[in-house]
Amino acid sequence: MDNIYRPYLMTISDTTDEAPGVRTFRLNFSDEEEGKNFKFQTGQFGLYSVFGAGESTFCIASSPTREDYIECTFREAGRVTKALRELNIGDTIGFRGPYGNVFPIDKWEDKNLVFIAGGIALPPLRSVIWNCLDLRDRYKDVTIIYGAKTVDDLVYKHELKEWEARDDINLVTTVDPGGETPEWTGKVGFVPTVVEETAPDSNDTIAIVCGPPIMIKFTLPVLEKLGFKNDKVYTTLENRMKCGLGKCGRCNIGCTYVCKEGPVFTAEEISKMPDEF
Amino acid sequence: MIEELRKKAEELLKNDTVKVVFGYGEGSVPERTRPVFITKPEDVNKLTWNKYCVYNLTTYLKRQETRKLGKPAIIVKGCDARTIIVLLKECQLKREDVYILGVTCDGVGDPLATKCKACDVHTPLIYDDLVGEKRENKEIPFEERYAELDDLEKLDEKEKWEFWQKQFSKCIKCYACSNMCPLCFCDRCIVEKNQPQWIDSSAHARGNLSWNVTRAYHLAGRCINCEECQRVCPVDIPLNLLNKKLAKEAEKNFDYRPGYSVDDELAMSTYKEEDSQEFFK
Amino acid sequence: MEKLLNKNKFDSLIAGLKEQGYKTVAPKKDNRLVTLEEIQDASEISLDHVITNNSIKEFFFPKTEKILSYTIDKNKVKMEEPKGFAVKSVIFGTRPCDAFSLPVMDKVFNWDCSDKFWVERREAITIVTVSCDKSDSYCFCTSVGLTPDAKQGSDVLLTKISNDEYLVETVTEKGKNLIKELDSVFSDPPSGTPKRQVATVKEKFDLKKIKPWLDENFEHDVWDDFSNKCIGCGACTFVCPTCHCFDIVDECTMTKGDRVKNWDGCQFSMFTMHTSGHNPRSTQGMRWRQRIMHKFKYYVEKFDSTLCVGCGRCSRVCPADMNISEMLELIDTEAGK
Repeated sequence: MDNIYRPYLMTISDTTDEAPGVRTFRLNFSDEEEGKNFKFQTGQFGLYSVFGAGESTFCIASSPTREDYIECTFREAGRVTKALRELNIGDTIGFRGPYGNVFPIDKWEDKNLVFIAGGIALPPLRSVIWNCLDLRDRYKDVTIIYGAKTVDDLVYKHELKEWEARDDINLVTTVDPGGETPEWTGKVGFVPTVVEETAPDSNDTIAIVCGPPIMIKFTLPVLEKLGFKNDKVYTTLENRMKCGLGKCGRCNIGCTYVCKEGPVFTAEEISKMPDEF
Repeated sequence: MIEELRKKAEELLKNDTVKVVFGYGEGSVPERTRPVFITKPEDVNKLTWNKYCVYNLTTYLKRQETRKLGKPAIIVKGCDARTIIVLLKECQLKREDVYILGVTCDGVGDPLATKCKACDVHTPLIYDDLVGEKRENKEIPFEERYAELDDLEKLDEKEKWEFWQKQFSKCIKCYACSNMCPLCFCDRCIVEKNQPQWIDSSAHARGNLSWNVTRAYHLAGRCINCEECQRVCPVDIPLNLLNKKLAKEAEKNFDYRPGYSVDDELAMSTYKEEDSQEFFK
Repeated sequence: MEKLLNKNKFDSLIAGLKEQGYKTVAPKKDNRLVTLEEIQDASEISLDHVITNNSIKEFFFPKTEKILSYTIDKNKVKMEEPKGFAVKSVIFGTRPCDAFSLPVMDKVFNWDCSDKFWVERREAITIVTVSCDKSDSYCFCTSVGLTPDAKQGSDVLLTKISNDEYLVETVTEKGKNLIKELDSVFSDPPSGTPKRQVATVKEKFDLKKIKPWLDENFEHDVWDDFSNKCIGCGACTFVCPTCHCFDIVDECTMTKGDRVKNWDGCQFSMFTMHTSGHNPRSTQGMRWRQRIMHKFKYYVEKFDSTLCVGCGRCSRVCPADMNISEMLELIDTEAGK
């Protein structure tokens, strides 16, 4: 019988320092066969482990349309992420996944998409952004609103330039008041405020929001004001996880297991959840 | 005695001296009591006093859920009161933040708890008010106070090791012992730290040995032997013997017994030139 | 299939099991407690208790177990599967409540994907249950849909019909095969309808009223009020036959290590603590609510089964006398208002 706790062995093929304390790993399957058979969909996550330090949960930050590798982005915060940061190209880590539910991107075809992210929460959205951009002609207008505390804290700086250069994406970047540098040409203001200013049209539009709880708290009412119905607003929730498989009894919010019925939720589903996250 | 306790509690609540009374109430079965937290004067009838009042209620002084109820009056037996003295000395508590309602006690538990067999604090050593007849605490000789260790001390080193290995193999790492212990008040216990993981959280031989022994050492010279840890252990590990042994060593080496006087200096944080230096080999 | 077992055949039974290659686990008296542990001899068995201190859970889901082993050589890692954890055994003398916990736990350990550490042990172990001829005030199996002689989860059920005799009923194929293997130990079934000595356990609350009340009362004063005395340890969750929350940790040296699965408990203050320091369940009241909700609402919604078998162990061992059936009686009363 298969061991559901056994990870894939992954080799780190590239590392990028995104922001202070934040790093992206590009991972290839150490076993090519496993890599060929591996499939995932955007929105899903995995448990990444350093052998000896333990496991940690992050989204898969790359798109399933780019098949040779997967990527994860993490901030150094505790035991496992600290150990991850000490690794280099060529090192081996473990990966268990893909777990969780998916962004229903086929339901969004022919609609406008507005992606809203803050700080370290761009990684979960980057997967779905890439996925949609790789299938660009299936969607109408694409707007990306992304902000961080300071210019330095913006992640995926290279991609932000790419997205800015494209004429089929409306990219709005912002930093918190006081976080700008003299060279900064983007906006200055908290993400919820910038969303209100940008005022994306809610007609036939899906909003996908990801950020720290405080940002979500203030962004959802802005979207409501702009006319977004809460079944058209998607977000991802996170919670402390261990198994990722619905067995260890830890990640539930009320009776919803974030690892099985999430991490992707609509604002409507969240409104029905008890205040336990 | 119960009436007097209830009356005192009612008074303290009515005149707002305290916001809550930590006491004992009826339990699930006649042979048990349970901790109760009385905030309304009309609820004082929930308080009781009998031989099943084993709990050391001072442990609730460390918990945020009971602290937020406000300044407490706490019903303490002689052993429990020793804990308060240690907490005061270790700066965990300010004297004015707690009202000590002492009770004279002739022993709890049925059969009589081991700790009660050699009790020298039938009348608590610290209190704001005393319920029950105050009487002189008899001094008990050293040998008698540690008599419960006799069987263990007869064993040789190998037998002792085997005894404890067998006992610790039962441990399930539920941490009832440290959660119940009033002197295990660290915000983040050493076993909860993982950078590095000093003590394995796993309930295997190494994890169990390191946990139980480390906890005993962290209590050495501090533990007042209320034996709550042993009472609450769901797998019946005789933790009282472990902690009692270290208490005996502390007394032998430093002539120190914690919790007897607010004027005592803490053995573990005081240096005296005459301290035993036998361990320098 | 029905048979008869006389107490004087216990010796042959245990010897027979050994001969057939079974490890035997049975209730054994150890100082103040009776615990389910491995025995070598029938003389070690003790059956005059209400319930063993430990539940049957640890034989299927141990308090700590390796789920992966690995060796590290510079930047290369080699993994190894744990072997030999599913040992052919018979658990003799467990109670119907404990036995029932197994099909209940099967649901979560097989939800969408199967945990082989649970499944392979389930296949390797045969359950011979002894019906309860006595109970105590902590028992409440009848309130959660069971009886002291319930069959679900057992392979064979023994029920006392006299001081020395047990009626033997096979419940599953596995049970039937076990009886066949040890045919000589059992005698022909008793004639007529023997009087089964089964304890009476009074119903304490109406289970049907519990979930509807929980559906409406996520926020309620009772959660804080009832859990004031709780000290936040793991005693209740660990002795419970249906609590299955666990932790996964790595333990290693520079060159080799194990990934280990350990019991964990929702009553611990750090159970849901995020690395950021945010804790969705930061008070004992919230954690106590989670325990009750998980057992009597969430598991019911997910798996159509209550995550409690009414054994009462949690209440017996609780350091602070938190009594789960008392909580449920309270809910029953509130629901009636």
